Amino acid sequence: MWQWFYRMGSPKWFYEMSGKWLPWLYVLMTVLMSVGIVWALLFVPQDYQQGNTIRIMYVHVPVASISLACFPLMAVAGVITLVWKMKLADMVAKCAAPIGAWFTAVALATGAIWGQPIWGTWWAWDARLTSMLIQFFLLIGVIALRSAIESPDDSARASALLAIVGAINVPIIKYSVEWWNTLHQPASNFSMDNESAFGPEIWVPLVIMIFAVYCFFVISLILSTRNEILRRERRAQWVQDIVAGEKV
Amino acid sequence: MKPHRRKKLTIIGFIATGLAVAIGLSLYALSNTIDLFFTPSQVAAGEVADGQRIRIGGMVKEGSVEQSQDSLHVEFIATDYSHDLQVRYDGILPDLFREGQGVVVEGAVTNGVFEASRVLAKHDENYMSVEVKAALDAAERERTLPGVATEGGASGT
Repeated sequence: MWQWFYRMGSPKWFYEMSGKWLPWLYVLMTVLMSVGIVWALLFVPQDYQQGNTIRIMYVHVPVASISLACFPLMAVAGVITLVWKMKLADMVAKCAAPIGAWFTAVALATGAIWGQPIWGTWWAWDARLTSMLIQFFLLIGVIALRSAIESPDDSARASALLAIVGAINVPIIKYSVEWWNTLHQPASNFSMDNESAFGPEIWVPLVIMIFAVYCFFVISLILSTRNEILRRERRAQWVQDIVAGEKV
Repeated sequence: MKPHRRKKLTIIGFIATGLAVAIGLSLYALSNTIDLFFTPSQVAAGEVADGQRIRIGGMVKEGSVEQSQDSLHVEFIATDYSHDLQVRYDGILPDLFREGQGVVVEGAVTNGVFEASRVLAKHDENYMSVEVKAALDAAERERTLPGVATEGGASGT
């Protein structure tokens, strides 16, 4: 088991494998994204209260849920960095931070755009919105901390620790709408029945969009990590070989 | 797993658990201030001082909205189904404001009446197409008024 774990941590192995995964991910994302967007924008019925504004959900919810998944990913990578000193884990953590920050920013922005017509305000200091804003600042903090420390080992350790600590915010965001009273509504309950609230005609395209945006996130992360691998391993023979091969 | 790694993992585990407990306790202690609004019951119980700027949240009571004919003045009752609170407001209401719908109102209590400076609409987590809502409403009318046939139509408000 450990052997497999260590092999996966090798940047070379990851670079080769991810190169094979990428084309499939591109295809998967293109299909899911085009089906999801067309379905959500053109075929989802209007909501009985919100009308066409409901369509913002098909961007807001996927982006927000993936921004919530990004932080635990960084925390796990952080633990691996601290305990096993695996180089790849640190590279993934480094690349995930800016992507997560962008996802959080887009979730906040689409939430504001949704809130303005429906609630009557762009922003409210309720627990869900505030904890999400804190996540955005935490991610900015992780990025800033990493670039503020000169030594690569120290900066990796410091940002890993901040990511682990910051991950405590994720359950707070998730359950904020249940623990406190907020302007933001609680999570919807999926229903199998088309004749009830949040039935399949509404959530099936949402699930497609969630998978599509997940693909987008994974692709962004892989591309960014591959870049980081080449940059950090530029003195390794196998990277030199790749560079030599590209020049031809 | 090598001993020094196990030790490190334990230390990280302790730090994370300790912090989580500390944050959990502070959030629990702060839960009154983290709540976005007071409920009409809390206001009725005297938890709010007169004139103190607060937000209250509740449902707009069915049949309680009185809109002035020549101004933006509106009065309605916010309720949490155990206590009611009369609300006065001069201003533009959000599109989603309607009877039976959730609201969050900013303002202060003066002499038992809530003078609002801002009204926000709160919606729930139930999304439904216009058609489904109409069908459900029709079925509801069928159930409550047996014998009176209702022919589709009327969309939910």
